[in-house]
Amino acid sequence: MSSDAGSIPAASSKISWYQKKILLNQKKRSSIFLWIFPFVFFFLGFSSYPQNQPFLRLSVKDHPSLSRVLIESSIPLSFSIERSGSFLFVKLRADKPFRIQRRPFRSRFIKSLGWASGRDFYTITIRTQHRNFSYDSFTISDPPQLVIDVSPNGGEERREESREGPKRISVETNKEERKVPSASPGRKSIVIDPGHGGLESGAKGKFGALEKDITLDISLRLKNIIEQKLAYNVVLTRDKDVNVSLENRAAEANNNKAYLFISIHANSSYRKEARGSETFFLSLNATDEEARRLAYLENNSAEFEDRIGGDNEDDIKMILWDMAQAAYLKQSSQLAESIQKELNLLLGTINRGIKQAPFKVLTGVACPAVLVEVAFISNPEEERKLLTEAFQNNVAQAIYRGLVNFLRRYSQE
Amino acid sequence: MDMKRLIYVGLLLVLLIILVIIFFRKGGEERIKPASSTTFPEQEPLSEEPEETTQITLFFPSEEDTLLHPEVRDIIASSSVGIQAKQVIEELIKGSQNGYISAVPPETKLRELFITEEGVAYVDFSREIQEKHNSGSSAEISTIFSIVNSLTYNFKSVKKVFILIDGGEKQTLGGHIDLSRPFLPQHDLIAN
Ligand SMILES: [Zn+2]
Repeated sequence: MSSDAGSIPAASSKISWYQKKILLNQKKRSSIFLWIFPFVFFFLGFSSYPQNQPFLRLSVKDHPSLSRVLIESSIPLSFSIERSGSFLFVKLRADKPFRIQRRPFRSRFIKSLGWASGRDFYTITIRTQHRNFSYDSFTISDPPQLVIDVSPNGGEERREESREGPKRISVETNKEERKVPSASPGRKSIVIDPGHGGLESGAKGKFGALEKDITLDISLRLKNIIEQKLAYNVVLTRDKDVNVSLENRAAEANNNKAYLFISIHANSSYRKEARGSETFFLSLNATDEEARRLAYLENNSAEFEDRIGGDNEDDIKMILWDMAQAAYLKQSSQLAESIQKELNLLLGTINRGIKQAPFKVLTGVACPAVLVEVAFISNPEEERKLLTEAFQNNVAQAIYRGLVNFLRRYSQE
Repeated sequence: MDMKRLIYVGLLLVLLIILVIIFFRKGGEERIKPASSTTFPEQEPLSEEPEETTQITLFFPSEEDTLLHPEVRDIIASSSVGIQAKQVIEELIKGSQNGYISAVPPETKLRELFITEEGVAYVDFSREIQEKHNSGSSAEISTIFSIVNSLTYNFKSVKKVFILIDGGEKQTLGGHIDLSRPFLPQHDLIAN
């Protein structure tokens, strides 16, 4: 791809706006590729560690109100946390020596991360920027991770602060117990996105039904079902009739470290006869170069998220966020398939498969993500159906069943 | 103060004259156009040389299935791909002559179109493509790929299509399909 600005033929002054746009595009693109290569090698380096020796991977990621220290390992962690001055000491029991990987970082609330090893333990030292801070910790079992959130005081008090005493939590990663729907640590969240809202009402039916109302109704029903039956938090990108930008919907998923993202919509077509449910996942309008890069990301999705949080130039971070879904296309297609199968059973349709399209709301989501078009609001018969409680419940149940089937498979992989 | 007022009045008068000229010129053109247009070739005045035409293929959705259906049409031949591509879009806006569905609102105007050296066609539509659109995923997909496939199918030099509205980038037509990146054609949407 050439970035030779002089090669663009100058035409009339009328198209100068477009010329400017192209110059920008070219510049942006070449600088992305210059930046991508060090990244690729950096992470290839990480992935080449021997599999048998347990590792500890330390990283820090800044969020608007806190800094998150992530300690990942290949084996279950047994730990205690002690606080002293501006330090937090995380003591980890270790029968075998760890191989420690520490990622470079720059953080607002955390000054440094260090480590030392004893006879049968390791101590990770977290030095905060301010003496007056609070922290919160929790674990994720699969893969084994210890998460410590540090925030400066002055904001809201953190729940964990009161019990600072050492604690010992053993995290099981036994294969049998990995069936997430029943045995989740309760911290994982599923983000449900009711399409449209506020002034943006989406598609309209002949009888006046609005897409935004139907999507919210079904999303609320789905939320109830999931919360009753699964140990997941359900986060809605909106729970009332308000406008939420497409970027903020994806950001909601990423800020909540969503495990799954499901966007609910009602379809509209020019065809009068169009009917039925369809489940979409993202397709990319990728060039060859982009496709190669994305293929790399797709094969290394575990590292992908950390790459986003690195201490790089802001525009690169943004571009990577923008592409976040590229790393999850395979799982997203499986989730779509699983949900579509249940919708087909519900509606008695056999041959309807999953579809792929470049949906804006899905591009930035950093977890398996689908968009469900529950029925055609443009079809008067389906419009009436969409407004009934029975159909809304049935659809929510079908999506729930598809989701559970996917979770069983996904959590075992 | 008085001088300023005079200048204002003068400017307004100049503007009015320009508008009147534009109005009459447009009217005149419209009256001449049908004679040279390809729909009535037999009525072409003998004194004018018959314009050379070339065949292009447009893609429209249909009531029958979810695919895009080809419709062949003649446009005025030109050595410039840009000029021909503009005609393709203008014909697409006019809609189907074979009873297919028109996926671009007929009120839409093509503001500008040009093709970069890398093969990206920038197609700038008036805001009606968004305002008059019956927003919905399927409808958006139909609109976008009838445009994208019609351009890439007819012109080898067009590899991707970037849709602009009112001179700028827009996020979506109606809350669904991402317009912030250029589109590659979707061949599997084309009916055989
Ligand atoms: Zn929608």
